Amino acid sequence: MAELLTTQGLTKRFRGLVANENIDFRIDVGAVRCVIGPNGAGKTTFLSMLSGHQAPSAGCITYDGRDITNLSVVERARIGIGRKFQTPTVFDNLTVYENIELSVLRVEPDSGARERKIDMVLNAVRLADLRSVPARELSHGQRQWLEVGLLLGNESRLLLLDEPTAGMTNEETAATGRLIRSLADEHGLTIIIIEHDIHFIRDLRSPVTVLHLGKILMEGSFEDVASDSTVRSVYLGTDI
Amino acid sequence: MRAKFANTLHGERAVALVVFALLAFLPGVIGGYPIYILPQYLLFGALAMSLGLLWGWVGIVSFGQAAFFAIGAYGMGLVMQAGLGGWGGYLGIVCGVLAGASLAAIAGYFLFTAGVKSTYFVLVTLALSIIVEQLAVSQSGITGGYNGLFVDRMALALGPLGNIPLTGDVASYYAVLVVVPILYFGLKALTQSSFGKILVGIRENEDRMTALGYNVSLYKSAAFMLSGALAGIAGALYATHAGFVSPSLAGVTFSTEVVVWVAIGGRLSLLGALAGGVIVSALSNYLSSISPQYWQLALGFIFILVIMFSRDGIAGAFAAMANGISRWSRKERQLSEPYRKDSRG
Repeated sequence: MAELLTTQGLTKRFRGLVANENIDFRIDVGAVRCVIGPNGAGKTTFLSMLSGHQAPSAGCITYDGRDITNLSVVERARIGIGRKFQTPTVFDNLTVYENIELSVLRVEPDSGARERKIDMVLNAVRLADLRSVPARELSHGQRQWLEVGLLLGNESRLLLLDEPTAGMTNEETAATGRLIRSLADEHGLTIIIIEHDIHFIRDLRSPVTVLHLGKILMEGSFEDVASDSTVRSVYLGTDI
Repeated sequence: MRAKFANTLHGERAVALVVFALLAFLPGVIGGYPIYILPQYLLFGALAMSLGLLWGWVGIVSFGQAAFFAIGAYGMGLVMQAGLGGWGGYLGIVCGVLAGASLAAIAGYFLFTAGVKSTYFVLVTLALSIIVEQLAVSQSGITGGYNGLFVDRMALALGPLGNIPLTGDVASYYAVLVVVPILYFGLKALTQSSFGKILVGIRENEDRMTALGYNVSLYKSAAFMLSGALAGIAGALYATHAGFVSPSLAGVTFSTEVVVWVAIGGRLSLLGALAGGVIVSALSNYLSSISPQYWQLALGFIFILVIMFSRDGIAGAFAAMANGISRWSRKERQLSEPYRKDSRG
């Protein structure tokens, strides 16, 4: 399969602290990858460098065959890199429909096609019945979906999801897993997920990258990672 | 539930249409001073709308609107002095618009790309007003300094059909009464377009808009430029109507007054801003004539009272009332018809 995104020697230093060190990462088109690691492993920093919110101290990022290391957040969003933040970042005072509309607006100038696309996105993220509710009245889980909907609306091809199931019920978490699978398998989207929920990661059946102290500790299937003694030791005390 | 993009009273346009229509009959009923002065208040209303667009739709407060208004007024004044005959007025308007728009575009571009926000933006725009005022004072060879500039009333040049001078107050009244509604309805349409929605998105969550791929500073600069253009045209028309331009048009006091008009009228509604500009400037004029010492104090109290009762000004109070009534009537209906699913928002 064709690779969509690679990083080479990606490093981020905050004064003395090394948040990410020499990360060589690769993900193919249509793949789903979970990035896990104990708190402070540098997961969100890694995602921020991919989305353009943090500039790397060293290393480079290639997306779709092009060096994007120096592109801004806006430029990266316009070539299809969409990010869902750890704290849901949506338009709280606007309705669910208007939220998605703002996202679709940039890529779909024709109003008829736009409405159809908004409907499609609303159905995909299971918010069609709540279209006229202001986003601030949604549950935490629904807000997460709304934010994923924003990324679908503007035709993102690479979704960077920072803890997409935080605050969700078990049923919602399972539905999120199914949504992510269908986005990758049926729509060919590429998805990088930061998660803590081990059951969610296991059920996704996707390769896992383990970060520890800013470095890639190992990559492999969930089973390989879960049975690895080094990984178990960095998660000491955590049930994996 | 209503779309929040609209962020106005439902039927605001109809109300505006009725008000403008009533104003059109006014010269048949009364004459004299009101017909002379009302166009100037309407132009202040247009100036207030230029801030309403920024404050209500982009969420930025500018104390620079007086600068754009003044530069538009001086533009008109200088062109009218050049003695271009009947066409001078049109050229003056064009110059006023361009002057306001370019000053705003240049200032806006540098401020927004540098990420200047909220309080700092207020301070810089306030400084802009002071700079324009000081330039008007110091460049007395061009601007007449403290003495100001006298400006003739423009004429409507109709080419081969000759000129219609606007020296008469009634003719002038109607000229302004044509322009201000065009500005209002044009701006209203703009706020409901995709551009207006994007501005609301920026007001609500700038980081989200950036992450969605919108060039936020470009949109803000465009809105600011548009606001400057609007203030510029209001200033140009004001100059030719009032017949006199002075540095105080760009001053801190006038800048602050514009903000007060919009705060009282309601920043979330263009009609609210327009009405705020007209009513509060008229009220200020009246209060200053009956009590030269205390009128500003009285205005201050009115300002505080309105903001205490309705943070979104008079238009906000109306919107809340209309919202309450519609919610109440919906509840009544739901009680009588047990449950009916609303399929569409």
